[in-house]
Amino acid sequence: MLLELLTKRYPGMRAWLTQRLTGLVMAIYSVLALLRFFILQPESYEAWLSFFQPIWWRIASLLFWLALSLHAWLGIRDVFKDYVPNYGLQMVLQKILLALLWIYLAWAGWLMLA
Amino acid sequence: MQNNQQKHNETKKLRPGQLSRPKNLNLFTIRLPINALVSILHRATGCLLFLILPLILLLVQLSLSSAEQYQMVVNILHSPLVKLILLGVAWAFFHHFFAGIRHLAMDIHWMTSLMKARYTSKLVLVFGAIATIALAIQLWI
Ligand code: HEM
Ligand code: HEM
Repeated sequence: MLLELLTKRYPGMRAWLTQRLTGLVMAIYSVLALLRFFILQPESYEAWLSFFQPIWWRIASLLFWLALSLHAWLGIRDVFKDYVPNYGLQMVLQKILLALLWIYLAWAGWLMLA
Repeated sequence: MQNNQQKHNETKKLRPGQLSRPKNLNLFTIRLPINALVSILHRATGCLLFLILPLILLLVQLSLSSAEQYQMVVNILHSPLVKLILLGVAWAFFHHFFAGIRHLAMDIHWMTSLMKARYTSKLVLVFGAIATIALAIQLWI
């Protein structure tokens, strides 16, 4: 039932639910990151490197960035829809937004996996 | 008794088919209730967080690339002005976070009456402030 809302048949519901689920993913990751930071207290270069060493943490970080990309795409697009009445300009801004988010995602992927 | 809408309709000559409605775009005449404040701040902070994404990626990249670059990033982050900016960004994140959680709660129909919504709005502002103050203490003491 809930998953049906994620199909193309309900674009509005799909965007809405995606925004919630990605928000949830980011919220969980943020709490984890904060906890890890306060437990490990990485206060040197070596400690900072080993903070990002475990593969599970890199994958979690990448998952976070993936959620962030989707979330920001829907969120900022909504803001454009609300405040940019000129449709042509709105489409241009949307394309710029999409391009930026792809670049950031690739950047984050490279940082975490390279 | 005539209401403003009716008065408005009578005083204004309309083209056929034209809708009549009072336009009131003077922002200073709009009161901002606490729920609206939390809502618009959620939007503003979301946009701010989006804008600083490349800076975050850049800082992570530099800090991981070598011991010298790491030290440079640490020095930058320790300068008083940057600390202040950091605190602002942290507040933005905390506000967006707590307001986001409030959204999720309301989406599953928690705290949706006006009274409760006003209460959770206050909670969001207070939690945001507490989290920011806690970070400030960490940064300066
Ligand atoms: C920390 C976890 C986060 C949670 C729980 C969260 C939650 C939410 C929720 C529930 C919404 C939907 C609001 C609505 O429908 O009006 C939203 C909107 C939004 N979020 Fe987030 N968010 C988080 C992180 C982020 C981050 C990191 C960014 C920046 C890239 C961001 C940018 C936005 C934007 C731009 C909107 C649209 C605001 C609007 O339409 O008024 N969010 N967020
Ligand atoms: C000055 C007062 C107001 C401000 C600053 C404001 C601000 C906002 C913002 C930023 C959003 C999008 C993000 C979010 O959902 O949090 C929003 C959405 C919405 N607002 Fe307001 N609002 C105000 C007053 C009102 C009033 C008086 C009503 C209804 C009587 C209302 C009904 C709605 C609805 C239904 C949505 C959701 C629209 C959607 O999801 O597409 N707002 N408002």
